[in-house]
Amino acid sequence: MSEKSVGPYALEMSHISKNFGPVIALRDVDLKIRNGYIHGLIGQNGAGKSTLMKILSGYYPNGTFDGEIIVAGNKVELKSPRDAQQSGIAIVPQEITVAGTLTVAENILLSEFNNRGLKLYSKRNEDKTIETFLADNGIPLVSSQLVDTLTLPQKQILMIASALYMNPKVLVLDEPTSSLTNDEIGTLFAIVRNLKVKGYTTVFITHKIAEIMDLCDSVSILRDGQVVYETDRADFNSDTLISNMIGRSIGELYPQKNIVNADAPIVLSVTDLIVENPRKPGEKMLDAISFELRAGEILGLGGLVGSGRTEILKALFRENNVLAGKIQLGDGKVYGDAIPDALNAGIAYITEDRKIEGLLFNMTIRGNLTASIMETLSAKGILKRKSEKEIAHQTSKSLSVKPANIEEMIGNLSGGNQQKVLIGKSLLVKPLIFMLDEPTKGVDIASKAEIYQIIHDLVEKGAGVLLVSSEFPELLAISHRVIVFANGKYQGEMVGDIDKEHELMLMAIGGK
Amino acid sequence: MKSLRISPIGKRVIFVFVIFGAFALLKNSFATYDSILSIVQGIAFVGIASAFLTLLITSGEFDISIGANAALAAIVAGELVAKSHLSLGLSIFLTLLVGLVIGAINGAVVLIAKVPSFIATIAMLFIARSFSVYISQAKAIENFPGLWKGFKESFMGQYFSIFVMLVVILIGEFILNHTTFGKVIAAIGANKEAARIAGINVIRTKFILFMLTGVGAALAGIVADIHFSSARSSLGTGWELYAIAGLVIGGTSLFGGRGTVVGLLIGLLLMQIIASGMVAGGIDPWWQTVITGVIVLISLGIDRKRKKVFVNE
Repeated sequence: MSEKSVGPYALEMSHISKNFGPVIALRDVDLKIRNGYIHGLIGQNGAGKSTLMKILSGYYPNGTFDGEIIVAGNKVELKSPRDAQQSGIAIVPQEITVAGTLTVAENILLSEFNNRGLKLYSKRNEDKTIETFLADNGIPLVSSQLVDTLTLPQKQILMIASALYMNPKVLVLDEPTSSLTNDEIGTLFAIVRNLKVKGYTTVFITHKIAEIMDLCDSVSILRDGQVVYETDRADFNSDTLISNMIGRSIGELYPQKNIVNADAPIVLSVTDLIVENPRKPGEKMLDAISFELRAGEILGLGGLVGSGRTEILKALFRENNVLAGKIQLGDGKVYGDAIPDALNAGIAYITEDRKIEGLLFNMTIRGNLTASIMETLSAKGILKRKSEKEIAHQTSKSLSVKPANIEEMIGNLSGGNQQKVLIGKSLLVKPLIFMLDEPTKGVDIASKAEIYQIIHDLVEKGAGVLLVSSEFPELLAISHRVIVFANGKYQGEMVGDIDKEHELMLMAIGGK
Repeated sequence: MKSLRISPIGKRVIFVFVIFGAFALLKNSFATYDSILSIVQGIAFVGIASAFLTLLITSGEFDISIGANAALAAIVAGELVAKSHLSLGLSIFLTLLVGLVIGAINGAVVLIAKVPSFIATIAMLFIARSFSVYISQAKAIENFPGLWKGFKESFMGQYFSIFVMLVVILIGEFILNHTTFGKVIAAIGANKEAARIAGINVIRTKFILFMLTGVGAALAGIVADIHFSSARSSLGTGWELYAIAGLVIGGTSLFGGRGTVVGLLIGLLLMQIIASGMVAGGIDPWWQTVITGVIVLISLGIDRKRKKVFVNE
């Protein structure tokens, strides 16, 4: 609870600038947060959010940056995380950081224990204190419970409770929803709203616009190290927020389509294809499918989940059995019916499930990129490290994978960047046909834009692309043509036009 | 909560009694006062040396050098008292200081130079052991003054090492599980980052624990001098392994986060009972170490959640 309010702001960070060598991370950032507000701070990865928060948490000590920090009207010089805490700033980090072998009460009291030195610890008394504290703040935790036995969201809530116990003037929640389900997010929001009622000031960091719209009283948008937009709840508009976050309007999200010449060579032609149902051998799942794909063309495969879109890709990739029909490459050639045959024929399949089928999670960006071209990178069975690194670096750079360090483990990358690596991996085998299955699933908006650009670049270079996406606007905006399926049957074809979403939906539900 | 629930420590105490009872049935003389006294006496030095080690391990660090550190302390104390004829009090003080310095060096190498504690303290094991051999020229120091010998033969002298062990273990247990500092130690061992966020100075706390462990080891060396009226550079050989086995049997997580010094006592007792019992029962002593190994594994099964000892989250 804020005691006597000194001025309208709980926190003011003004003229904050920070460089890392020649790289400017933050440029003259002003962040003002009113007392009792839930203030949203949004920005894409790399926008400067985490640098700003590291300054606020004392991780980058006073003197390593320019500008000043004022907490509840008092100028503070933060030299350590401890300083930040004592100045009334409590930051709840994104990663779950709790001491599992201690109880809920012990975790919450940890900051206090530190100051008490070698004082007697009475479990009963401490449990009682924390029981009251939890009840007062509407936090659904049991003080004597061992933290190892809590669920993930309970641990998240515990971290908030621990921060709260320090009675901060500003509570900072760094992407608290990233590992929570919708229900759990609801519980979290209820707690944050309750804190607002109690007079706490909260900074809520996220990159999900919907959460800002739902929860926050005001918002600041950080982009390329600058605050590019700030407003109060009254003026919230999701389109404005998105376009400010990504730095372009929604329309500009999609690249300008290239023109496919009518005489562009055909790279793939499918005639009367019947695909076996992988779960019921002998039965067909897709019936009499025919289409052609030209060089430089993006062909969308539209339909609902289960319509057979993905099964077509898998049949072409030889993961699904073909019962009848013909699959021909550009020159009329056919290819064998094992996956390596498809790969040798120049077909790349970028799967929907990055985690299971696509990436080697215990390896680096480099290792993942070059996994499929080990042979070409080796001389007499010995890997040429230097050329491997070079190629990995070039590819990573051309796809603007973040972080730029190719030795970073894949597991530490965001979904969008993992997707880019997955595409890069296929890119290196120089295929003629790319099959992309839900390439933007679970990816933030900025990375989506980048992935669209990458797909666009593929066809510019003459490849053909088969695209599956459940997001109809995306499918229509990216594809030149869309062919639509419902229940394993071809429904029709339409031009890729973002305004035809309704039409596409009608076709996809089998209503023509 | 109506059903009978026995705490992990309780289970272990019962286990100790069962094993002890089994040997007592096998050989009646096993349950005599002298026999019990010799069992407890047998773990006194390693108990003193590893009580504070439990705290260090609970914070997520290790000290392999306790045995060598104790030997060095034994030799240093012997040199000061028997050869340099310094006063008893000053000798003990200086020897404890040597232990403190060794602990501080361990701490500095681990916490400042960032060498993993396992490696840093193995290096210290070799260094301290070599120093103790060098200083003593590999000879036992025997000519302790009369006062020293007199104490050893007094009533108090008989029980002195056991008494010191119990005091040290109780102090360790009290700090670890009944003070706020103990909770800070466990928190550091459970999740260093969580401790750091709570404003805890992780490095300082661990540094204190390294020094405390060093002092504990040195104390064991001094108490051994008093007990034996002789100082040998071979003291403490293999203590680190007994300490680790005792800790595991007792229920301390070797990855930090949870520790019990009373558990250590029980673990050491159990191993000693088995060793003594087998000798008393005329079983080939080579089986002792085999049984000890098996007990270490069994003890992991005593609590269901014991997996965490090996699977560091």
